[in-house]
Amino acid sequence: MNVAIRALSLATTIFWILLIAFITLSAFSLKDLNFSLDEPKFTVTAEGELLFSLPLSIENRGYCDLKDFQLATVFSDATGKVISTAKSSVPLIAHGESVTLVHNATLSMDDLLENAGQYLFNDANLTAQVAAGLTFADFLPAQISTNFTFPWGAPLYNFAIDQPTFEPFNSTHSLVAMPISFENHAAFDLEGAIRVMLFDSADSLIGESQTRFQAPMYSPYRGDLTFYIPLNAESSAAQRGHCDVYFSTTLFEYGPLVIPYG
Amino acid sequence: MVEEKKSKNLIKDVSFRIAKATVKAILVYLIYFLLAPLLAPLFELVPGIMESIEAFIAIYIALMIIGDITARTIFEHIFRTARALFFMAYLLLSLGDGVISTSYENFSLTLDLTAFTAIALSLSLLNVAASILQAINFMSDKAEADSNLQTPR
Repeated sequence: MNVAIRALSLATTIFWILLIAFITLSAFSLKDLNFSLDEPKFTVTAEGELLFSLPLSIENRGYCDLKDFQLATVFSDATGKVISTAKSSVPLIAHGESVTLVHNATLSMDDLLENAGQYLFNDANLTAQVAAGLTFADFLPAQISTNFTFPWGAPLYNFAIDQPTFEPFNSTHSLVAMPISFENHAAFDLEGAIRVMLFDSADSLIGESQTRFQAPMYSPYRGDLTFYIPLNAESSAAQRGHCDVYFSTTLFEYGPLVIPYG
Repeated sequence: MVEEKKSKNLIKDVSFRIAKATVKAILVYLIYFLLAPLLAPLFELVPGIMESIEAFIAIYIALMIIGDITARTIFEHIFRTARALFFMAYLLLSLGDGVISTSYENFSLTLDLTAFTAIALSLSLLNVAASILQAINFMSDKAEADSNLQTPR
């Protein structure tokens, strides 16, 4: 019996030593793990969606392999509605290896604008939930998660239509020039068309015009819309009415935005 | 003369046990002292764990010293079993279901130590089993020795 008990005690001691050594090695390896994030980028996909790319480098200089590295992001708007979810994974990062992963999340502008058209005209903050999980040395699953607010720059910030000016064009029509301006605060270039329908105070359509525009990211835009309206409509149009503005871009369709004038 | 020799042997024996217990306690504390800085990155994430581990080490060493001083008596096995049970209780109380969640600034870290907890608990159970078997063995050896003394020649 004595021999059996001694063997049992010895085996237990050896397993304890192995377990403690393994845990110590794992903890020691944790500090040799490097994560670095590069500048996130916004691009527009062929499908007309906004692609958020986050390059992430993982350097495993520890003694243990990392398995099932997963990165998940959930973007939600100010009301808490989920706009986009995305997941990236790396099956194995062996010790001594470095891996660069580009995490892509697709943001559909249509989803974003479904409940909140103000994202086009006002800067805001989106909420991003980020969770990263991995299995350390086949043995210790770990997960780290965080929430952060993501600044959203409005692509049509401070959109305004200035007072229209009327000039006689010919014996039947007048030329109306309507200056439009906005600032593209977004992290992507904006390209498309603006269509404006001019209504008088009696809600009768008196003119319609369309212009194409190109507004590079973080830059202001200033342009003119021109209308030809019948001379008999000029007097009523000049007094008061409203414009219905429609936006058509590669990323979104929006309208009408009703702007009164006069 | 025989009485004096017995007393001298007892003092020598007790001194040896105390010395052995002290050396073992110092060794255990040295291991902790050397391992603690290595595990520091992990400990920093869980507030209060360092104090908890220090209290655990103190109680564990105390039980080990008492166990060593009472060597070759049934109390040695009782304290050894108590030490293994204390370790199991500490593990269960500190790790619970094995999932540790902690927050640091805006980050939340979750560590799944279920596998580690299961292995550590299994090894602790083996320690308890070994201690109980040693106690049974000690009692049976003692009973055998007593019966040998009582057997008429």
